[in-house]
Amino acid sequence: MITIKGAKDGLQVQIDQTADWDAILSALRTQFEHGGSSFFAGARLTLDIGNRRVDEQQLADVLQLMEHYGMRPGSLLTTEGDSRAVARAAGLVTRAASRQNNNTRNEHDAEDGMLLVRTVRSGQVIRYHGNVTLIGDVNPGAEVIAGGSVVVWGRLRGMVHAGALGRAEALICALELRPTQLRIASLIARTPDDGASSVPEVARVQGDHIIVEVWEAYRRTRADT
Amino acid sequence: MARVITVTSGKGGVGKTTTTANLGTALARYGARVALIDADIGLRNLDVVMGLENRIVYDLVDVIEGRARVRQALIKDKRLPEMYLMPAAQTRDKDAVNAEDMIALANEMHTDFDYILIDSPAGIESGFRNAIACANEVLIVTTPEVPSVRDADRVVGLVEASEKGPPRLIINRIKPRLVSRGEMLSVDEVVEILAIEPIGVVPEDEVILSSTNRGEAAVFNAQSIAGRAFDDIARRLRGEEVPFMDMSEQPGVLERWFGGLFRRRAKA
Repeated sequence: MITIKGAKDGLQVQIDQTADWDAILSALRTQFEHGGSSFFAGARLTLDIGNRRVDEQQLADVLQLMEHYGMRPGSLLTTEGDSRAVARAAGLVTRAASRQNNNTRNEHDAEDGMLLVRTVRSGQVIRYHGNVTLIGDVNPGAEVIAGGSVVVWGRLRGMVHAGALGRAEALICALELRPTQLRIASLIARTPDDGASSVPEVARVQGDHIIVEVWEAYRRTRADT
Repeated sequence: MARVITVTSGKGGVGKTTTTANLGTALARYGARVALIDADIGLRNLDVVMGLENRIVYDLVDVIEGRARVRQALIKDKRLPEMYLMPAAQTRDKDAVNAEDMIALANEMHTDFDYILIDSPAGIESGFRNAIACANEVLIVTTPEVPSVRDADRVVGLVEASEKGPPRLIINRIKPRLVSRGEMLSVDEVVEILAIEPIGVVPEDEVILSSTNRGEAAVFNAQSIAGRAFDDIARRLRGEEVPFMDMSEQPGVLERWFGGLFRRRAKA
């Protein structure tokens, strides 16, 4: 019914063109709730409603929902003239939707991947619905928030939230894992004040905790099973 | 055509104004025509550091709002006839200027100077954005302290996003003795985090304090180690290859950045 994607300038939500609006609102609420505080809060969210016709009240409802979960409205993508007029009246930027396929999936696809080659610096946030591979460092004060796993081929000193849409199987790997904080799904861990390891490590959820293992040890446990 | 170079930092009190004054003075001593612009509207300092405070008649806001021409507002330096200062307004705030104003100002001054150095205000708000709007090069000043490096990192990100090309780094007020005892971040550690090219390392030097209060740049003082470091940076800006000063407690750190970068990376 709804599909959430990471886009260049924030997140994009594709909304099913035919489903009942109340059902869509409730699906959005469930999804936003899943994202906890970090995945959606502060993000610029673009709505893609395709050829659907929305009225003032429907749009107001969804904007209110976004505001409640801390999102800033980005633009509205639509091919429908009346919807565009309604959105403009509400102060949104509108663009023509370029929806290639009409078969919106029920789930955002956590298997999607993004590769970045850069340094993520203090104050910068990378937000993506799938897996993130970063070749470079995550500096203190920077954040990477992903629906899937996060691999940092470099030094991880900032904050990473993997499985931010609820996937507790998500992993966080880094060549040098020294984050200010790690989050996987709804769990939070901070680095012990003394721990300074310089070998590649993997963080994952075990029971109710996030545990961190040296990569070699993690690989052996995987080989055993 | 002038090279427009903005000196900025994020965090306050790390030495932007001192750096601007000393680099400008050093460049002018090499015969370049230099203009210094104090973009810290409302908290002007550069005129004091240059010892020119009592000569201000018009300021940058007067020029932008049309009460004075650029030539009227520019103050000639006491000692170097090819160096001029455009002072900031003290009684206004940063909203008196916008990015287009700064670009127009730089364009107007372009042909009369070889270097236009802009002293940016601290922070990442409009004052900072105005100060980098007209730059074609950016120098980021940081001290080897964690909060300062953190803010510098934020600013590097913003400068990169503004497509000015990669900024270069000045590490100011380093104390080799504290570094060697592990009580201060080393040049290496700072460069590792910020991942931009360093153009200079300036050691802590008490001469800076006295020269700042006297309104005379430290580069005039041959005894000042910081003055020498700023002079080296000016020469590097001019395109000379100047080896980094040997701060005995941390040998060869910068040579490694330039010379053996790939070898080191490969080993690590």
